[in-house]
Amino acid sequence: MKATPYNLFISALYGGRKGIRPPAGNPTSIACVELMKACGAFFPEAHLNAHAMADLALAGHELAGFDTVMPEYSVHQESAALGCEVDWGSETRMPDAKTAPYADFSDVIVPENILEKPSLRVVLDALSMLRREVGGQVAIIGKVMGPWTLSYHMAGTQNFLLQLGLGEKDKINRMLRQLMPVTIAFANAQFRAGADAVVLADHATGNLVGPYHYRDYLLPIHQEITARVGGPIILHICGNCLDRLELFAESGVDAYHFEWQVDAKAAVKIIDKRISLIGNLNNPKTLFQGTPEDVHRQARYAIEAGVDIIGPECAVPLTTPLANLRAIPTAVREGY
Amino acid sequence: MKESIQKIKEGVIEGRHKEIESLVREICKTGISPETVIQEGLIAAMDTVGRRFSAGEIFVPEMMVSAMTMKLGLNIVKPLVTGQAGESRGVVLMGTVKGDLHDIGKNIVVMMLEGAGFRVIDMGVDIDVEKVVAKVAEIRPQVLGLSALLTTTMPEMKLVIEEIRARGLRERVKVMVGGAPVDAAFAEKIGADGYGKDAVQAVAMARSFIGF
Repeated sequence: MKATPYNLFISALYGGRKGIRPPAGNPTSIACVELMKACGAFFPEAHLNAHAMADLALAGHELAGFDTVMPEYSVHQESAALGCEVDWGSETRMPDAKTAPYADFSDVIVPENILEKPSLRVVLDALSMLRREVGGQVAIIGKVMGPWTLSYHMAGTQNFLLQLGLGEKDKINRMLRQLMPVTIAFANAQFRAGADAVVLADHATGNLVGPYHYRDYLLPIHQEITARVGGPIILHICGNCLDRLELFAESGVDAYHFEWQVDAKAAVKIIDKRISLIGNLNNPKTLFQGTPEDVHRQARYAIEAGVDIIGPECAVPLTTPLANLRAIPTAVREGY
Repeated sequence: MKESIQKIKEGVIEGRHKEIESLVREICKTGISPETVIQEGLIAAMDTVGRRFSAGEIFVPEMMVSAMTMKLGLNIVKPLVTGQAGESRGVVLMGTVKGDLHDIGKNIVVMMLEGAGFRVIDMGVDIDVEKVVAKVAEIRPQVLGLSALLTTTMPEMKLVIEEIRARGLRERVKVMVGGAPVDAAFAEKIGADGYGKDAVQAVAMARSFIGF
């Protein structure tokens, strides 16, 4: 196998042949202010303009040295298309939804042409641009929000969690089922547009909800999504999910992108090669406040533990030093 | 009496929000003091809920329902309390710092503090330094709780503490901080009095500050 970024990533994603080194990948955003300045593509434009979006993603490979490019930086592309009023933030502030249009849990109206809504079209166009630019050389990662995350945006997170606690199973299931087709349609469209793999971000976050919530509500939905989406899926769920790794391995995804809170060695042992593992460098302490040496140490720990693809645990803080991000590709280039 | 109090306790722990009001009304008719209902029933129940949350047996949705149930019960029994016993155990001013719109963690801390008998004044989210300091000066809380979920907004906590010190209010208020990117080392570095990793620790800390 030639040791190109694309080959190394795809092989590691499927737990296949090992090349000369592990790949450095970013299923979630590595956009930071320094990277924006270096490539001239800034937030909030990079959320809404396909050229800026693709340029910033490309900088993750060309300037930071990652083996992947991932052009979706916010969690609100779909919620904007579904009717949330979104504040797209600034260079140093991530977007945020200002309204929850279905707080009453009424039927969600999914626009027929949802893939043509500007906030989704922009992602598809950026993926196609990246395909033309680096297809077959660098792995292109797309990203969709799962129905659980979309429900937070539609109903309001606290409201959704309260209904969950109140045992309103029908309400919860109805909303999840109404939103699931959006996730499936957007994921398949991203593959058609040029993505090599798609991240399914669905925040049934550890410490926030329990493994039993995931098992009872979301696992069957994830199994259905993975069955109906064509390409490889990377599951991203934040928090300490050690108590539900077993369930993730049954969800039909090809890889799980995990946080530092889960020890890499423990994760590798539980998962036991059933799916691949991606992560899990600490964002707030190491990447944001630490030094390149701290980053290097953690990356080597993850490699030695057997994590397949090395990267930050989640979207990095926007003022993360670029030198710290670069320390990840540096560490993987030392090989296994 | 023990059996009736136990029923109240179980009602809150299990989040039986539809039954709690009638349960509390019934027990108050039997001659059990409202103070006992609050302390040994409602507040004791929330202590158990907190312990179960810390142990990973329950999660935020269940905790929210228990807190809601406790509040419904408290609304029934509180008007019956007379004299000093009806006063709160202390006043806590809470808020999420400037630039940060996250409030679920902070709201859970508020619920748990109320469940523990504190009077809580919640300033909401995205609160600038000036507003926090003005509120501290106006309300004179015993405890100020600051929350931040973003690494980019953590430094605001330091600014608040510095400003409180500059206005000569620092000796009068204990400051506790929390939120996903915050830890004990950061709390110490910025001069806070303590850090709570979750709502249970926040309540324990507020109690220790006030001394009960």
